[in-house]
Amino acid sequence: MGPLAVNEIISPETNLFFAFIIGIAFGFVLESNGFSSSRRLAGMFYGYDTTVLKVFFTAALTGMLGILFLSLFGWLDLSLIYINPTFLWSAIGGGVIMGAGFIMGGYCPGTSFCAAAIGKLDAMAFIGGIFLGIFIFAEGYPLWEGFYKAKNMGSPLMNEIIGTSRGVMTLMIIIVALAMFWVGEWSEKKFARDDYKINQH
Amino acid sequence: MTKDKEPKKYMNPYLGGVLLGLVLVFAFWVSGRGLGASGAPKSLIIAGVEAIAPAHAKTATFYKEYGSSKENPLKAWLVFEMLGVVVGGFISGAIAGRLKFTVEKVPKITNKTRIIFAVLGGVLFGFGAQLGRGCTSGSALTGMSVLSVGGFVTMAAIFGTAFGLAYFARKLWI
Amino acid sequence: MKAIHILAIALVPLGIIIAAVPENTTRPYKLTADELLIEVTEGRQFMSPDEIAKMLIEKDPSLQLIDIRSKDQFEKFSLPNAINVPLESLLSAEYEEVLNQDIKLNVFYSNSSNDANQAWMIMRQLGYKNNYVLQGGLNYWAETILKPEKPAEGSPNEELAKYNFRMGASQALGGGTEAASAGPAAKSGAPVPVIQKIKKKKGAAGGC
Repeated sequence: MGPLAVNEIISPETNLFFAFIIGIAFGFVLESNGFSSSRRLAGMFYGYDTTVLKVFFTAALTGMLGILFLSLFGWLDLSLIYINPTFLWSAIGGGVIMGAGFIMGGYCPGTSFCAAAIGKLDAMAFIGGIFLGIFIFAEGYPLWEGFYKAKNMGSPLMNEIIGTSRGVMTLMIIIVALAMFWVGEWSEKKFARDDYKINQH
Repeated sequence: MTKDKEPKKYMNPYLGGVLLGLVLVFAFWVSGRGLGASGAPKSLIIAGVEAIAPAHAKTATFYKEYGSSKENPLKAWLVFEMLGVVVGGFISGAIAGRLKFTVEKVPKITNKTRIIFAVLGGVLFGFGAQLGRGCTSGSALTGMSVLSVGGFVTMAAIFGTAFGLAYFARKLWI
Repeated sequence: MKAIHILAIALVPLGIIIAAVPENTTRPYKLTADELLIEVTEGRQFMSPDEIAKMLIEKDPSLQLIDIRSKDQFEKFSLPNAINVPLESLLSAEYEEVLNQDIKLNVFYSNSSNDANQAWMIMRQLGYKNNYVLQGGLNYWAETILKPEKPAEGSPNEELAKYNFRMGASQALGGGTEAASAGPAAKSGAPVPVIQKIKKKKGAAGGC
């Protein structure tokens, strides 16, 4: 029964090996979908390329469904998986700063490594910036430690806030996401650019 | 006679999303955790500071909290995962013939401008990812797939801010 | 057909299924049937009244008696320092910490061995350690400790020693018998079980 590493069906070293394999799959899928292109990533916010929206939300939904179905079949113990905690203020603050970084740099950390792997120099510059940003955070840590640790709400789930089950929440998000995809497809036609080809199947 | 090479098409985004989701589920099934990215550079920084300035690492709060008193930072899941990401991205780029050293940008701006903003964006993202306890892969994508409130909040903040600032950054992209 | 249509046709039914089916909250068995049979036939889960009495007299802090009868029965009579976990509530969350731990030796008891043994089996299948059963339950306890029978003349010395110990024990633990000298504590047959450390299974770590 999964998770394999937590139930000690595989050793911690094997776990790290699988991390590498999973990373390869992750990087491959990212690059094959064009996430190694900063123009494509930024295109999300100008409407001419909504690939980010489609891939991101489809992946999240597949993840939701996959995890819940695995639990249903008894292959995954949901109480043992990691659910990231909610520190409300730092989640919002960090998100805002990341959003600014996204629109300026055109990458996020995962995609920047992927793009650097195929030779994008601007991605490498972005990675350099990441290291600098982390270093600044680390050195100045006492200044924002309070804000960073404020309002620890534990690990609440979205369905708990609305008061429904995980499955029902998933279904609701599926419907919302499908609506967003339709809007995305419309937007790509409306905001298409001459010097940019979406170039996908 | 030179043949004009048609650039290879990218995968269908919905298919790509499903595949990415399956990778995510696999990660949960094997390791009990989802994907992530920003933790890997963090581990490198910690390891680096501990190697270069060990006295500082012992006293400064951040390094004490996340440093190797708990475990060797380089032996982290995310570090191995990011190594894999680089390899996987390279393989995909190689298969599709997209390997090329280049600066990707709109024709209207110079290379220098693009690089400067890439660095700035990176600084902000590095800082913000630490503050938000994860980036788009770790907090937003993985967090959403487990229905974590923190994941949704971070995702909304990232995308909302990017949309909001898009008008001001338009010279960079359109 | 456009990709988005295929996606919708795939996702919506899956979503409906996952929304309709109740979540799987079963707790898996850690032992196979064979493994459990071995433990049951060897009877390793039993602790004799003598062992328990000895631990009580010595005020051994690692002992935790658990009364699995109903609340009323518990309040009418219970062993020293016992806590009450009624059999029906065995799996409820409030007792999880008491039953799944590695600090004390939990000893279930009921009137006979039956209910306590059943409680032990369920706990064992969930993989919990350090749980035991008072052999013979309170009935046997009453016979041996509270009102021990004097062995016949000419019985082997160990029988006599056991009897003396039990008399002393019943005095110390409050049974109604004639005065007797508190003999030296008899060596019980099997050594007192060792507390086995369990590895607390915490969830996966993650982050960033």
